[in-house]
Amino acid sequence: MNHRKFILSVMFLAFALFCFSQRDSPGRLSDSLNLKVSYNSSLIYPGARLGAEYSVKSFNVAKTKKSGKKKDFDKERFVSANLGWYHHPNFQDNMYLTGGWTMRRTHSKGFFTEFSPEIGLSRTFLGGTTYKVDNNGNVSVVKLAGYYYALLTVGGGVGYDYSKAKHKPFILFYKLNLLSMYPYNSTIYVRPAMEIGLIYKLRFIGNVKSKL
Amino acid sequence: MLSQNYNLMQRIIGYLLLLLMVSCQKEKITIGTNVSETFYLNNASASMRLLVQGNTLSHTFLIIVHGGPGEGSFVYNTKYITYHIENKFAVVYWDQRDAGASQGNSNGNNLNLPQMTDDLKKVIELIKYRYGENSSVFILGHSFGGLLTSSFMTTGENQTMVKGWIMVDGSPNYPLNDTLTRQMLLRVGQQQIALNDHVNNWTPIINYCNAHPGNFTLAESNQLESYGADAETYISEVNQFNLLSAMEASSLIDFLPITAVLVNYLYSSDASFNAVLDKTQFSTLLYKIVTPTLLLYGEYDFICPKELGEEVYNRISTNDKKMVISPVSGHNFMFQDEVLFCNEVDNFIAKYR
Repeated sequence: MNHRKFILSVMFLAFALFCFSQRDSPGRLSDSLNLKVSYNSSLIYPGARLGAEYSVKSFNVAKTKKSGKKKDFDKERFVSANLGWYHHPNFQDNMYLTGGWTMRRTHSKGFFTEFSPEIGLSRTFLGGTTYKVDNNGNVSVVKLAGYYYALLTVGGGVGYDYSKAKHKPFILFYKLNLLSMYPYNSTIYVRPAMEIGLIYKLRFIGNVKSKL
Repeated sequence: MLSQNYNLMQRIIGYLLLLLMVSCQKEKITIGTNVSETFYLNNASASMRLLVQGNTLSHTFLIIVHGGPGEGSFVYNTKYITYHIENKFAVVYWDQRDAGASQGNSNGNNLNLPQMTDDLKKVIELIKYRYGENSSVFILGHSFGGLLTSSFMTTGENQTMVKGWIMVDGSPNYPLNDTLTRQMLLRVGQQQIALNDHVNNWTPIINYCNAHPGNFTLAESNQLESYGADAETYISEVNQFNLLSAMEASSLIDFLPITAVLVNYLYSSDASFNAVLDKTQFSTLLYKIVTPTLLLYGEYDFICPKELGEEVYNRISTNDKKMVISPVSGHNFMFQDEVLFCNEVDNFIAKYR
């Protein structure tokens, strides 16, 4: 797989998700919808992740400590849908679709932490031509060889929300995820993955239009 | 119009993703002197990885049947083997089911010796399909691979598929193996204590062996193996070998899926079929073997003592047989005495290919 194919696929998927978000009642949906795109790497192996998160709950917490110091942060809860992929040469390509629950805590200056469990389905594609040999010694090639697995991921990350202090419609984030797939050879396969990406807040599109 | 565009976009993305996935699975067969290619054999709910490296132009293939069960074949792919065997012949690094980079779903019921024997047969058929029916195939079984290749060689007409059988620190007879391991631990341990060498290490080993005289359970068997692995590290003559360092060295070169190797090993090494293996022996069937055979054992191998090699040597029917003992090796002849290992393997293959 060369880099051109990889970049093209990411661009197509990002564009498709963008189109999807614009389809139904853009005014309402986009107020709570964010789009995510990230580089999804496991050690040295490349991948990509695209997703959308929908805010279902958001509230501000303002506290004054005994010392007099003020704490001011937002708590947000999102449901999310994500499509991930990584390419591990000679081993597997893994494409996985997940739905999840994201808990994010953003400080007034824009820095945030988040935690998100997700469940979903994984489809792997083996990293090489796959053959079947019958009991008479006849050999055939298995097309699209690979397996379906139930998938559970947990991840935690940090980031910076540019909309807080700088009124820009995006968030930068870094996240570590632990993928587990079952049943993998009658046991559980675990794999760490790292995401570096961008979240785009669609509600800013509406704001720009209203200014015009 | 918007809906049509959306559907078109969906279709394009679908095709694009499909293209990305299948591009890695396109059949590629290379005949050359410096080949490296990976493919998979799907058999009985497992997709087993095969890495072929080296000189496929020689049409001579050495299939590594790794130990374990569950260890995977990555560790055997050393630089020394690359420069001293792969330059002459092709080496096939086969990850057995539930080992290494092999993949599948719920396939634990198929993790048994008869199924793995069938897997090996199909690996050979696949190699001949890809590289030509006239290819010369040799099999090399290390440790548990010795039991698996013994099963293969004594089943039906399987041995006619290979030009030669190489056993490295392997066991054709697990009950006998336990007895010999215990005897060797006692004998060498007492000698070492008399020499005042590693007394604190040897004393519990000797006490355990004295307390467990025979008719071993799986737990006793595992304990003896564990003591055997420790014991060779107490012998100054042995070239010490660090498995983790070797794995680290090969991990990036071979795109080692570290967590898959680990979970497969943990599953296979604890799977219920180990209890069956513990009672398995092929000594009484070795007379069937008429294929050229090379037996390589470490002088200080406590896990599979060299007497197991003598057992094979004395029972097989072929006159084309040779047994070599490495004076500086324990259970990993191919890593602890690389020069002798590669010389013997190269000469054996060159003679019988």
